Amino acid sequence: MGLLSQLKQKYKTLSIVGMAKNAGKTTALNYLIEEAMDDGVMLGITSTGRDGESTDLVTGTDKPRVFLDAGTIVSVPVKLYDLADAGLEILRMTNYSSALGQIMLCRVVESGYVQIAGPVSTKDQKAMCRDMLDLGAEIILIDGAVDRKSIAAPDASDAIILSTGAVLSRSLKKVVEETAHIVGLYQLPELEDGPARDRILELQDQEKIMLIKGNKIRALDLKTGLSAGKFLDEAIDEATEYVYIPGALTNSVISDIHPAKMKTVEFILKDPTKIFIEAMHWQQLRKKGFTVKVLKNIKVAALTVNPRAPIGYSFEHEALLKAMRSAVDGIPVIDVKMGGEFSETV
Amino acid sequence: MRLSNVKTRSETGLDHVMQSINVMTPFGKKRLKSIVPFMPGDEDRLNEEFRKLEELLALADEKPQTVELLMETFMDLKDISFTIERSKNNTLSVVELFEIKSLLLKMKRVTELLEESGHQLSEEFILLDIMELLDRLDPRKDRMNTFYIYDDFSETLGGLRKRKRELEISVRKEQKIIKQQIETKYGISLTPKFDYCVSKSNKELVRIIREIPELTPGDEDYLSVTFVLKNTGEIDELIREMDLLSEKIEAEELKIQEALSKDVYRFSGILLENCNKIGELDFILSKAVYARSKNCVKPRLVPGHKIVIEGGRHLVVEEILSQKGKPYCPVSISLQDGVTCITGANMGGKTVSLKLVGLVAMLTQYGFFVPCASAEIGLSNYIHILIGDSQSLQRGLSSFGSEMEELKEILDHSKDRSLILIDEIASGTNPVEGLALTKSLVGYLKTRPYISLITTHFDSVTVGEGIKNMQVRGLANADFNRLEKELRYANRRERIEIIQKYMDYRLYHVDNDEEIPKDALNIAKMLGIYDEIIENAKKFLNEGR
Repeated sequence: MGLLSQLKQKYKTLSIVGMAKNAGKTTALNYLIEEAMDDGVMLGITSTGRDGESTDLVTGTDKPRVFLDAGTIVSVPVKLYDLADAGLEILRMTNYSSALGQIMLCRVVESGYVQIAGPVSTKDQKAMCRDMLDLGAEIILIDGAVDRKSIAAPDASDAIILSTGAVLSRSLKKVVEETAHIVGLYQLPELEDGPARDRILELQDQEKIMLIKGNKIRALDLKTGLSAGKFLDEAIDEATEYVYIPGALTNSVISDIHPAKMKTVEFILKDPTKIFIEAMHWQQLRKKGFTVKVLKNIKVAALTVNPRAPIGYSFEHEALLKAMRSAVDGIPVIDVKMGGEFSETV
Repeated sequence: MRLSNVKTRSETGLDHVMQSINVMTPFGKKRLKSIVPFMPGDEDRLNEEFRKLEELLALADEKPQTVELLMETFMDLKDISFTIERSKNNTLSVVELFEIKSLLLKMKRVTELLEESGHQLSEEFILLDIMELLDRLDPRKDRMNTFYIYDDFSETLGGLRKRKRELEISVRKEQKIIKQQIETKYGISLTPKFDYCVSKSNKELVRIIREIPELTPGDEDYLSVTFVLKNTGEIDELIREMDLLSEKIEAEELKIQEALSKDVYRFSGILLENCNKIGELDFILSKAVYARSKNCVKPRLVPGHKIVIEGGRHLVVEEILSQKGKPYCPVSISLQDGVTCITGANMGGKTVSLKLVGLVAMLTQYGFFVPCASAEIGLSNYIHILIGDSQSLQRGLSSFGSEMEELKEILDHSKDRSLILIDEIASGTNPVEGLALTKSLVGYLKTRPYISLITTHFDSVTVGEGIKNMQVRGLANADFNRLEKELRYANRRERIEIIQKYMDYRLYHVDNDEEIPKDALNIAKMLGIYDEIIENAKKFLNEGR
């Protein structure tokens, strides 16, 4: 049984997200599609509307162009319909729009290549995934952000498949370290249900820093912690239990906070993509007793590794797989280029 | 010649009503946008419009579910008249054909809904038959809202595609056999794509794989090499045949698209007419739904020039009041050619009554039902409301200046059967000249074939032959003791609301020599103006007499 057949049992929608450009996201997508064909899984395929890829809209170079088997449900913008090599039965004209116009949901009738694009807004994306499931898709693969920094909304899918690879660094150790760091951040614990969570959810639209002690909540007149570290430090006292930061969590926010205070409060963030602290520094902070929880974390369903960097160098594939597997315990890691069973033990 | 200007349409509240009616289809929106008023002489056509409205009102009352389903069908209709017109000289794309099919299915649905309702509707609402075209676009007759150049469109196409699929399977079968052979022979497993990637550090393995005759090195760099399945002569032959077939399939698909486009063109007149019918149905239905929700009635059209309103409500004011949970006090008024003045207490709703007359007249002439218990309307050639607004101040004109500018416009444009509504003219200048000007204007209007309605505070304006005087009942019948008690502990906002509660907004006819009640000081006092000031004002009043 392939990776996808296993994931299918746990998740309905999976985003494939790259750690960086050229980390092998499209290769990963193709790999999963092939697996679906082999296992007879009815796929839904779409993509996040936003991406920074420089694309030629007409020829579609660089745009994910994937080979789809008959039966697959796919989202195609009106303008790309005629460019598809596959035979597509139009099932529904949606009201969702992409950069290339209105999106249609189609069923592949004659297998072939299709260029995919999806809705721009996350809300539409979620609604469209539901439509695709209605139309018979068993699991939906979303061709996600090219670069993890641009994941806008972690709740667009049930879980992500993170593509990482040699492109991150010439040092294998560093590639593994950075990837493990991100996986660690994504899986940060969520703030437990309770009064603190309720109050934050209630007030979070104000986008303000909030201090919570017991039943009391206080909103500071600061939007993000950026350059506001000192004010924040002053506002935290012994009784403060949680600090909610709506914006980015950066070194500068943390650096002004007294180490003693750091130990007593828990920092709460919207989601893990708000953290902009490097692996090393993060480890040091953790040692000092710095704890962070999020309102919504990101489930990492699997990792794909690409041992090659586009500028030429590459790693020994077994070594990369082995190192990555031991660094992210419990998450399946596959090399989409070299293949091999994902469950293969080290 | 136009009936009214932009300001009159917005000040009377007509614009508000037009924005409130819920037209759903692009065709209905087009119809609403191109609305033109009915003018004197158009009474028959207007009555016909009202009859259609009543017809749909009856449908909405008797078959609310049909109307709901109709609106649901209207909801995501797209305007594809451009595509329909394009079919004349062009081959429509698959997406365009899909949109045509969707539209046809919607038309079929509308026809079915109307038939099922058992209501015999007017010709204007009955869509023309499009089943022949639908059958062309839906050869399987499954009536699903999906589209593709299906195999069923032509036998040739079905055959070609079938052959191509067979070839695809043969290729894959052939490749699978080779894959299996390799796997059992050499003990390696290929990916589903029939390739095998080897790390170059494993020199021995690379060497062995290179020896495998069925594989050929594909993608390669200094660390790894990917081997792919070598095509056998047989596979090459199959692929060549597939390419040829693909070409034929494409040509056949295009042929079908061309034929379908011709069919669409053949029906284009019918399609466009049906779009207009849907627009008409949508437009009038939304007017009917609005009329029902706002308790509007059909105005009775009369040949002479007159406006008789029984229990009229100004819709905008009523909406504001109902949001606050307050009742609306309906107003009745009867107007004929000549001047009618409305006088009475401040805060007595004089201006609202003025606007009400404008709204009822405008709604009637634009083919809407009116918010009254009943109404009798003789159509006007020209309708104008002169009312102070903030826009003139923004234009840098004084309120008096802009008023005079607009008065000139009225005088220039008026003709027989005009409806002229004037709110407290010349109140922004000194009372001596203001009074003189107003009196003179009234004298001028009196002799013209216009219905003129003027609100004013000037007593003596209302005196004279041929001038009708209406008065707001105001606080005349209010229980002042209770009113004062309530006011004693009220804050600012509450004061206003209490006065509104005791105010009787109804109009009644008074004789010319009756004096206008002086309520201004009373109301100022109720609103908390210092006693000292009120008392002194009273003193001045007495001295003046």
